[in-house]
Parts: sequence; structure tokens; C-alpha cells
Amino acid sequence: MTASIGFLGIALGLVGASCGLIEILLALLVRKSSGFKRSLIWVALMVFGCVIAVGAMELALLQNNFSLAYVAGNSTIETPTIYKIATLWGALEGSLLLWALLLCGYVAAAAWCFRTKIHDRLVAWSLATMLAVCVFFFGLLIGPASPFDTLTSVPLDGEGLNPLLRNHPLMAIHPVMLYLGYVGFTVPFAFAVGALITGRLGEGWLVATRTWTLIAWGCLSIGILLGAWWSYEVLGWGGYWAWDPVENASFLPWLTGTAFLHSVIVQERRGMLRVWNLSLLLATFALTIFGTFLTRSGVIDSVHEFSASSIGPLFLGFFAIIVVTSVFLIGWRGDRIRSPGSIDSPFSREGTFLANNFLFALFAFVVLLGTIFPLLVEAVSNEQIAVGRPYFDRMLMPIGLALLALMSVSPMLSWRSTSFTTLAGKLLGPAACGVGTMALSISLGAHGVWPVLGLGLGGSTLGSAAHQILIGTRRHGWKGIIGRTGGGMIAHIGIALIAFGFIASTAFSEEGEFVLQPGDSASVAGHEVTFVSVRDYFDGPNRVVSAQVKVEGRGTFAPAITRYPTFGRPISTPSVATSWIDDVYLSLAAIPDEGMDRITLRVLIKPLVVWMWMGGALIGLGTLSALIPNRRELAKEEKEDSSSSERLEAKL
Amino acid sequence: MSRLQRYGWLSVLVVFVASLAMAITNDDVPATIAERAYEIKADTLCPVCDGQNVLESNAPVAAAIRRQVDELVEEDRTDEEIHAYLARQYGQDVNAKPPGTGISSLVWSIPVLVAVLAVGVLISSFKKWRSGRGKLVTEEDRELVRKLRDEP
Repeated sequence: MTASIGFLGIALGLVGASCGLIEILLALLVRKSSGFKRSLIWVALMVFGCVIAVGAMELALLQNNFSLAYVAGNSTIETPTIYKIATLWGALEGSLLLWALLLCGYVAAAAWCFRTKIHDRLVAWSLATMLAVCVFFFGLLIGPASPFDTLTSVPLDGEGLNPLLRNHPLMAIHPVMLYLGYVGFTVPFAFAVGALITGRLGEGWLVATRTWTLIAWGCLSIGILLGAWWSYEVLGWGGYWAWDPVENASFLPWLTGTAFLHSVIVQERRGMLRVWNLSLLLATFALTIFGTFLTRSGVIDSVHEFSASSIGPLFLGFFAIIVVTSVFLIGWRGDRIRSPGSIDSPFSREGTFLANNFLFALFAFVVLLGTIFPLLVEAVSNEQIAVGRPYFDRMLMPIGLALLALMSVSPMLSWRSTSFTTLAGKLLGPAACGVGTMALSISLGAHGVWPVLGLGLGGSTLGSAAHQILIGTRRHGWKGIIGRTGGGMIAHIGIALIAFGFIASTAFSEEGEFVLQPGDSASVAGHEVTFVSVRDYFDGPNRVVSAQVKVEGRGTFAPAITRYPTFGRPISTPSVATSWIDDVYLSLAAIPDEGMDRITLRVLIKPLVVWMWMGGALIGLGTLSALIPNRRELAKEEKEDSSSSERLEAKL
Repeated sequence: MSRLQRYGWLSVLVVFVASLAMAITNDDVPATIAERAYEIKADTLCPVCDGQNVLESNAPVAAAIRRQVDELVEEDRTDEEIHAYLARQYGQDVNAKPPGTGISSLVWSIPVLVAVLAVGVLISSFKKWRSGRGKLVTEEDRELVRKLRDEP
């Protein structure tokens, strides 16, 4: 019954998306204008269908309806309610259902925002593009990746998710945020396609889409960081980023999206970089689909990988269609997007934005190459190689440092050009912050050229962002932090904090592994930990060993390790004694023999890790602030728009 | 530049050079056996566990590799010898660092090539923009503007 309702929901979604698409295309091509309004009704039907399907799946999960293959495969009776709800996005088919739901949400929101302008051909083409994407996803859900397949013999209990996916509440939020980011890029992509098809490549469509891009970017940033936080808190090896193909897949659209958020400002102010900006939007969306292909096709080995399935080729085909369409559209409209302006000096705001885009594009290229290179080599020479952390660290460190340097300089530069004398005056503050940070970090024990230099550049980034915020608040009070400039600078501070945390925890972490009896102590980097006691018990069928470990000055913590009968290796649940300066990360390295009270304790000292999570929060705040429309900025932009068009007319 | 600024930059420079010098002298190369073994383990992937290195993994084969690395470092083998040995035993793809020879070396050189090319394109665009400044408006441009204005 539930399965039929769910299937019906997906069918409704597919019908709504397809009919809406056909209706709007007919209206566009045959100029039958009544079709525009009718397409909105089809959108409503699609959303309705998708909500029913998701509701049916959640109901099935909550009611332990093991007649559904998805529920039987990924849930159990004992699974706590919150994880039952989250099981919707715990495996392949359900995660696509969530994708469809979020896509429906974005499409509905976009359709609602532009409902009065639906007769505008640009808006209509954009809606058609979004609906085409919807058709693809509903098409997947109805056949190749149907979440509502039923089992003929209903099991008494389900198999349950991989235990790693059900022992931390972050797992319930992280995928949703990540998908909100991925899916959100559909809207700006659709508007870019609409602008290219209609040939209306002025700045108007950009203003309409930058809010959407910002929302998607903010969600993606937070989603990625939550993922890092989750691996840190759950996986038990003290890492948060491993340059794993799936992590890279989420990072790639973030890189191109970030490049776009910066270069779009150049287009708004100076009318330049039009082809480039459109390409960035198209590439960002294409990369989200490519990432989904990588994670769901079984072509790569990764801890995050979904079960191998047959939908890989479909995603690859969809990706190919997107790339071919994008290249064709850009080639077709290339002559119309010729930029009128020019960049006068590399020492100007727009000059540094250009450098920023060069570095982000190169960064993304290296990540992409490193991710797919093993596949390419295997295809060409049948050799198996791996491209891992040493490669990414070495190749990306110089780019990362250069980006930090740009972040320190760029906000201090004016548009068009900045004279050397002004520059020397303005940059003194950030430079002083930078060398101050270097000196401070060395007095605290930092060493090595690259880490110290990186920390210094983080300091100067912080200095220049703080300087801009101070100027803004001095002029406009607390409103100075609202709007795009203020929000952007808050995000810059967030990035600087992440840089501090990343560099310090990568370069200066220390570790030790100890076999301890109750009462024994061990010491790593000046932190003394004492093993107090151990509790060995059964939680249902699972054997849990939980240790009480006292960390000097921080309290008592309880790292644990669990053996699940349904899962091969024991799963270690770390416990982290956090402080502003460093984390003492405790995890049990092996499950002790029964009846023994001796534990193998791994102790990692990770400096400044908590700064990264704070940086993530600041990026979120910065995004929110940038989303608030700022009257002062809008008025300024309008004034500049009219003055620049006057200039253009005078020139003609 | 005012005199104050000049002194400011001078002191920034002094602190910068001093900090870098101290950063270099404080830097410890992985000299002890434990530190060397740690570095090698961090760069060796566990053959059965999807992208984790042998330090991170709880799998039995990862533990075996950890023990092997400890022994080889004790025997005073060089890093290269140990990596080559592990690659022979478990396959080239346990080495997280792609080799710098043969077809794999492309992964190191292509980004550099792309970067150089991109810088070249950027420089030539700047030159074009500079020489293009003050260029007269062509008839084609006027036509384009007229067309855009006429559009509803």
C-alpha cells in the first residue's frame, strides 16, 4: 500500500515535470502564451507528487515496513527515530528522493518568485531548464533507482545502515546541507542557460540569480564543513579531510562557485568577464552532476561511496548532455558576450579578482585531475596507481597560500587602479597583523617555513577583513556588517580561522598509542591522560567497551569501541576534550579481549581544530548577512549603473 | 610614503625575516625512527579499505603493514626502498604519492603546464586591453547598441 502510494507520488512528479516542460516549450516555440501560466500548475503537481513520495517513504521507515526493499536494507526496528527519519538519505535510492524533494523546493521557490514574470522568455527558458533537470531525476526514481521496490518475502527485521552512519546526529544534517548546496546550483545554472538562449546577456539576469547562488554556496560550505566535523567526531582517526574522491567531488563545485561569487562582482561593476562567469555557473552545475556520478557509479574506491549501481552511465550521459549543451550555447552566443570594459591595472580590485579566479580555477583543476587521474591511467595503461594526500598537499599548498595572500591584499585595493603610495599605506596594517601572527606562532612553538608563512598570511587576511568591517561600522554603525561587503568580510574571517585550524592541526599535531591498565597514565605533548576504568557490556547484540579516561584539567571522557555482529571491523567512537588551544582526541585502537581491563588508547593532540568549526559558523553568518538586501548598497549600485550608461552614451 | 610608514614597513620586514629564520632553524626533520615510520605509514594506503591510510585503518592488513614499516625503518632502509618494497608486495596503488616516472608523472606536470599557459593568456589579455584602450567605436558596435535599445 505505502509502496503504491510512494510510486504514485513519483509518477505524479514525473508527469508534472514532463507536462510542465512540454507546456512551457510549446508556449516558447509556438508562442502560445496561455501555456506559461499552465506550466506553473504542473510545477505545483510535481511538488505535490514528490512530497507524497517522501511522506510515504518516511512513513514506511517509521512504521518498520520491511516489505519495502529500501527499508529492509537500511533500517532496523531498533534504530532510534531520528536515524529512521535520516535513513531517507542514508542510501542510494533514498538520497536521490531527497535530491528530488530539494530540487522541487528550489524550482517551486523560483517559480513563485518569478510568477509574475513568467511571460518573460528568459524566465520561461530558465524554468524549462529546471523542469528538464527534474524530469531526469524523476525518471531515475521511477525506474533505475526506484526507492519503492517491494520484497516478496518480508523479513522480520531490517539489515540497518552501516553503523558509522547511525552514531552521530551530524549524519542527519550534513547530507541535507550538502544537497541543499548541490541542488541549489540548478537555479543559477538554469538562468545562465536562459540568458544564453534568449541572448539577453546583460547584467539583469545576474542580479536575479546571485541570491540563489549565494544560498547554494552557503549551504554547500556548511555542508562540507559539517562533513569534516562528522568524520572528526566519528571516524576515530582524528582526521577531517582525506582528499578522498567523494570529498573532492563536493569540493569542486564549491571552488568554481566561490570563483563565480567573486568574478560576478567584476561583471556587475565593470560589465566584464561575461563569458567566464557564465562558464563558471555552467561548470559548477556540471561538476555537481559529475560528483554525483563519481559517488554513485562504483568507478572509484571511497569510504563514502554508495553501493555500486547501474545508474552510473545515466549520470554520465546527463553530465555529457550538460557539457555539450553548455559548450554549444557559449560558442553560439560568444559574439554577443564580448565584454565592453577593460582592466586597467593588475593592482586594482578587479585585477585581484582576476588573479583570484585564475587561482580558484587552477585549484579546481588540480583537484579534478588528482581525483580522476587513477581512472585515466588505468584506462590507458592498465596500471593501478593512487593519488592521495601527499600529492594534493604539495600541489595545492602554494595555491592555497597565494589565495590567502590575495585575500589580505584585495579588500584594501580600490577599483580601476591604486597608486603605490596609497597601497603602501593601506597594506601596512594587514602586513603588521601577518608578521605579528608569525612571531606569536613561533613564540608558541610553531616551526617550519610553510606552516609559519601560512599562519602569517591567515593573520594578514584577518587584519584586512577586520579593517574593512571597522570602516563599515564606523560609517554606518552595526549596519556596516549587513550586506554584501560586510557579509563577504565576515566570510573572509571565517576562512582565515579555517586556515589557522587547518594549518596548525595538520603541521603540529602529535600522537601516541599506549596500552594501559586502570590507574596508568600517559603523556603526549604536555597533556597527561589517566585511564580510570572500563565498562564492557552488551547493547542488544553489540558488544560495547567504554573507557573512562581523565584528561588533566579537562575532565573525564569516555572513548568507546563497539563490535556489531552485522559489521566486520569494530567501530571506535572517539571522545574529544576540546579547548580553544588544542583538542585532546581519545580513541580506543582495538577491542580488548573479553574479561580483560587493559585498553589500547590512542591519544592525538590537535591544535586549533575548534577554530575551523567556528570559521564554518562565520561563513554561515557572512552568507546570511550578504543575503540581506542592503538599501545603501542598492542605491549606490543604481547610481553607478545610471552613471556608467551615461558614460557609454557620451562615448557613442 | 610618509616617514612613519617607512619605519612601519621596515619593522614589518625585520619581524618577517626574523620569524622565517626562526621557523627554519626550529624545524625538525623527521629524524627519529618513530617519526620516519609515521611519515611512511601516513603515505601508505590500506589495500582493502577504500582510501584510508594504514595509520587510520583498523583492518588487519593495515596493522601488518604498520609492523612491516616499523621493521624496515629499524633496518635503516631508505624511504624510497620501503615504498618500493610495499608497492611490490601490495601493488603500486598502496603508495598515496603517485610516482614521478612514466605515465604517472603527468599528474605532476600537467597542472604546471596549465598554470603557465593560463598566465600567458592573462598577460596577453592585459596587453590587448591596454593597447585597446581609447579605440574608436566601430559601426558594428553602434549597430549592436541600436539593436539592444530597440529590443523590448
